[in-house]
Amino acid sequence: MKKILGLLAAVVICCSATAQGGAAYSVKVSGEVVTPLTLTAADIIAMPRTNATAKDRHGEMHSFSGVAIADILNKAGVTTGKQLKGENLAKYLLVTCADNYKVVFSLAELDSSFTDRVVVLADQMEGKPLPAGMGPFRLIVPGEKKPARNCMQVVGIAVKFAKD
Amino acid sequence: MRRRGLYISLVLVAGICVAAWVGPGRGSVAGPTPYKVAYPAYFGNRVNLREDNPLTEEGVRLGRFLFYDKRLSRNGAVSCASCHQQALAFTDGRRFSVGFDSVLTRRSSMSLANLLWVRHFFWDGRALGLEAQAMVPLTEAHEMGQRMDSLVPKLTRTGFYGPLFAAAFGSPEVTQDGIVRALAQFERTLVSADAPYDRYIRDEYTMTPAEMRGLKLFFGRAVCGNCHGGPKTFDETYHNNGLDKGNFRDSGRFDVTGLDYDRGRFRVVTLRNIALTAPYMHDGRFKTLEEVVDHYSDHIEPSETLSPTLKDLANAPARMGLTKGEKGDIVAFLRTLTDTGFVRDKRFSDPFVGQQARRGEALAGPR
Repeated sequence: MKKILGLLAAVVICCSATAQGGAAYSVKVSGEVVTPLTLTAADIIAMPRTNATAKDRHGEMHSFSGVAIADILNKAGVTTGKQLKGENLAKYLLVTCADNYKVVFSLAELDSSFTDRVVVLADQMEGKPLPAGMGPFRLIVPGEKKPARNCMQVVGIAVKFAKD
Repeated sequence: MRRRGLYISLVLVAGICVAAWVGPGRGSVAGPTPYKVAYPAYFGNRVNLREDNPLTEEGVRLGRFLFYDKRLSRNGAVSCASCHQQALAFTDGRRFSVGFDSVLTRRSSMSLANLLWVRHFFWDGRALGLEAQAMVPLTEAHEMGQRMDSLVPKLTRTGFYGPLFAAAFGSPEVTQDGIVRALAQFERTLVSADAPYDRYIRDEYTMTPAEMRGLKLFFGRAVCGNCHGGPKTFDETYHNNGLDKGNFRDSGRFDVTGLDYDRGRFRVVTLRNIALTAPYMHDGRFKTLEEVVDHYSDHIEPSETLSPTLKDLANAPARMGLTKGEKGDIVAFLRTLTDTGFVRDKRFSDPFVGQQARRGEALAGPR
């Protein structure tokens, strides 16, 4: 029942967004990139899908799906894989959420040549759009003790150089 | 060893080079003097200084005069300091402020303390930087109502500002850009970091038992510290803190982004000097700190954008149900954030007061 209510709430929010002229949600990819991107829900759903799991506040496990951050970085032309060496190891990712909450990753933390862990920009939970308050886009960082980097309502991904 | 010797001599050469490079410039042209803002290490260095508007003694001095000058409003009725009074930690004690034409503002006047660590200004964060912020109240129809193209000749005619502009920016010409830069410089110096809470952090003050219980609740079970955490007591984030059940009279952050999930969200503000800055919230709806704590404890309203921090595990508005004693303890802690030195600091006070006393009304007419 709760799930249905949640879904209904999501539908209502989506509808009210268009009805009241609320702007479309998107994620901006900027900074040390060849191609800056503004990814909408349609762009993200069209990219290769990846799954991840995370516990909620009750300790219950949920399945999420979305796009690997690494794929987004490759699409934007970030120095990943074989290029991730030398000064490029001093690059970091600054993820900004709608409420201006920010978290940081080093590029190496997100790269398959360094780690098997896949950090996902999720747009679905249990096969449905993320519930209001969480989505439309959130990070899922598997295997972390604290959920603080599983941040909600992501609006921006900026690749930056640590310049010191 | 030899390597270390080489390193030291290289450093020495570098030092001499810098001295040689800086030396003549400082000697031949007496530029403005850099202004160093002092603040505790525990505030961190994520400061918002602009390379194109470095703080200087002369710039800050000019900004202080402008901040207190009623001629900056259309009819000479109000200055920045009318709504931002030092004794009230740069607020005005009202729900809404009175503009030059006696029309009330839409939101409550914000305290100006520790703005050096702020990036987004106003309750909705619509101004990125103090320079951009300063333009808004100056020109807003019902705040100071001042057209910038008439303010510049008005201030030029006073004859008072030419030398101040010359000292700060190298030319006696009064400019719009110089006005907002100087105001921003002055505001960046308003650091409040000597409250009893600071002295507690520095091991110079022993909290009373009530204050200590309040501190533990604040950063612990009452989760105030989730948003007002760290010694600065704010996190520059936006939250809907459950004041209303949807259909917000003021949409807050939504007005800036147009995104539905920002409806009813407002910027988390500092709690420094909070006992002096009543009434509280963007619309000044709470008269006392006790009312504020009551709100967070017992009256969070549900809505689609309510902050997750203020929800319980069932996603319903949290009901902390603090006891009367616990509420009192939190208020006692909040009162340790009052920095009496800050609100009396002569560097931040009205600079015209001394001038008028010394020079009577010779100060280029009424202000």
